Amino acid sequence: MKNMMIKILILIATWAIICPAPSSRALDADQLVEKSFDYVRGKASVSTVKMTIQRPTWEREMIIMAWTRGQTDSLFYIDSPPKDHGNGTLKKGREMWMYNPKVNRVIKVPPSMMSQSWMGSDFSNNDLSKSDALLTDYTHSIEEIGTHEGLKVYVIKSMPKPDAPVVWGMQKLKVREDLIWLSQEFFDEDLKLVKYMTTLKIQRMDDRLFPKIWRMQKADETDRYTQLEYMALAFHTDLPENVFTLANLRKPRR
Amino acid sequence: MGLSMDVKMAWRNIWRNPRRTLLTICAITFSGMLLVFMLSFQFGSYETMINASVTIQTGHLQVQARGYHDKKQMQLVIGDTGKIVEILQQIPQIKAYSFRALGFSLVSSMDRTYGALVTGIDPVNETGVSRLKQLMRRGSFLTPGDLDRALVGSLLAKNLQVDIGDELTVLGQGRDGSIAATVVQVKGIYSSGIDEFDRASIHIPLEYFKEVYDMRGAAHAAVIIVNALGEVPDAKTKISSALSDTDFHDSLTVLDWEELMPGLRQGIELDLVSGMIFYVLLIIVVAFSILNTFLMAILERTREFGVMIAIGTTPGRLTKLLLFESMAMTLVGIFAGILAGCLVTYYFQVNGIDLGGSSELLGQYGISGRIHPKLSIWSISIGPLAVLLITFFAALYPALRVRRLKPVEAMVAV
Repeated sequence: MKNMMIKILILIATWAIICPAPSSRALDADQLVEKSFDYVRGKASVSTVKMTIQRPTWEREMIIMAWTRGQTDSLFYIDSPPKDHGNGTLKKGREMWMYNPKVNRVIKVPPSMMSQSWMGSDFSNNDLSKSDALLTDYTHSIEEIGTHEGLKVYVIKSMPKPDAPVVWGMQKLKVREDLIWLSQEFFDEDLKLVKYMTTLKIQRMDDRLFPKIWRMQKADETDRYTQLEYMALAFHTDLPENVFTLANLRKPRR
Repeated sequence: MGLSMDVKMAWRNIWRNPRRTLLTICAITFSGMLLVFMLSFQFGSYETMINASVTIQTGHLQVQARGYHDKKQMQLVIGDTGKIVEILQQIPQIKAYSFRALGFSLVSSMDRTYGALVTGIDPVNETGVSRLKQLMRRGSFLTPGDLDRALVGSLLAKNLQVDIGDELTVLGQGRDGSIAATVVQVKGIYSSGIDEFDRASIHIPLEYFKEVYDMRGAAHAAVIIVNALGEVPDAKTKISSALSDTDFHDSLTVLDWEELMPGLRQGIELDLVSGMIFYVLLIIVVAFSILNTFLMAILERTREFGVMIAIGTTPGRLTKLLLFESMAMTLVGIFAGILAGCLVTYYFQVNGIDLGGSSELLGQYGISGRIHPKLSIWSISIGPLAVLLITFFAALYPALRVRRLKPVEAMVAV
């Protein structure tokens, strides 16, 4: 009997050594980022967004139709103002193209331009396509845990992997435990805040809670920002392959 | 027993050993001449460099919307260009001016895309403010009436793999934030020698730019060339005060080439510092040669000084005498040096100096061919004045040392 007890103890000990508890904090941070990223983008989505560029002396509004699929593919085109109607942008993997109906040409955006502002807004080309760089080029760790409306909020610090071709020296993501993004902060190499995005009006859209408003602004400027407001949003399990093609980018829109 | 007697004595003393005196004077003359020439050359090359640079990009002065130079925002414009024309035409120092509008855009050929600065230029007035027309390597310059034609930098053309007659798609952002897109045909290819300029710029007619980028008649900069570099500050003040009398004194500002191209200014300062090190070394060598002459003189003339003290010459007067001697030599040397320096410099000022092999390096600054040194009150006076000052201090030591001589001991010295 005693012998049996020892055998069982040894068995348990061995099992414990071979299979350590799957609860390291870094893994949690990675999972949070990836899961929240998937939550935001869904498997695929179709949306209508009102983009407002706010400047001290002027303001500009655009209605944008957007399709996304997976973590890397997206297509959007401008519906209004009428002057810009039909201008489209396609992002596939790490490549990006822009289409202008007036000259009926597609231009491939060089990688060096991906961090440039999109259409004069505070969003860069990368931001707008909710680039997956955050997933692939950064390592994540949980810095702080707080609360928001009774839910746990994780502050995740993301540092670029060595040699990763990234723009930012650090990013900080605030994610609620139900995977909703509250804010994203972008820091330069000296870890100085450059710009930040905050989300507002979290409400039910399609099948899930989703922030209706995403606002991007520079660190030291309060009177200028760019805001995305979701007018309509529908999540899909998939979208056909031919949505994310150059041919579709060129297709005349109404 | 007056001052004139001391001067006379000093003058006679220095010619008691003519060979030594002549050698010392020659050293001073040579250094003075060298300094005059080198400083004139340096100032001349800076002026060449500045003029070469401003006539490629910035002009001597620019009128811009306040904040445009830092932020480069399309919305910061000169709305009423007519009013600016009125102001500029009244200022006599202004030789030429032209308006430009600029927008950073994607420029794309069949399958390649690069970011470039698209500049709208006035085909006629632009030739007065920049050398762009002379920099054309292939094709031809824009002519009035041209619309969808573009001049492309040689390196950009190479990167895009385009040649004369090929089409480029330009995609940028208009003044109202809308998308500006057009297709232009390459009419000419220019090469300035400044890689940054040749790699990332294209020029299209200003009127066409205004149409494509929705400028509604506005421009981003009035580029101004004045008659001579020295007139820049004066012209700047005049434009500023003329602007302040108008309605848009808050929105518009005048920038000079130093503000427009801070890098050029820093380059010049760096070059000036390295030049100064050379000059200081030169002057130190001259100072030591003077010091040597005087120490030698005192050793040789110990007996003479002993006698002078014995017959009642005060030490103060002896010091004065020696300083007069040194100043006499220095002044002769310096005037000869200035004269020779001016003659040599003037010859090259008229004929220019061919830079030959090193012109490739200077090509980075847009300098080509010959450099003309430039005589000015500064280049003539700074170097010789420094020599004068240093030799004075070099002579001070022996001149003061002589006061410690004891007449009896000095008179028996060999």
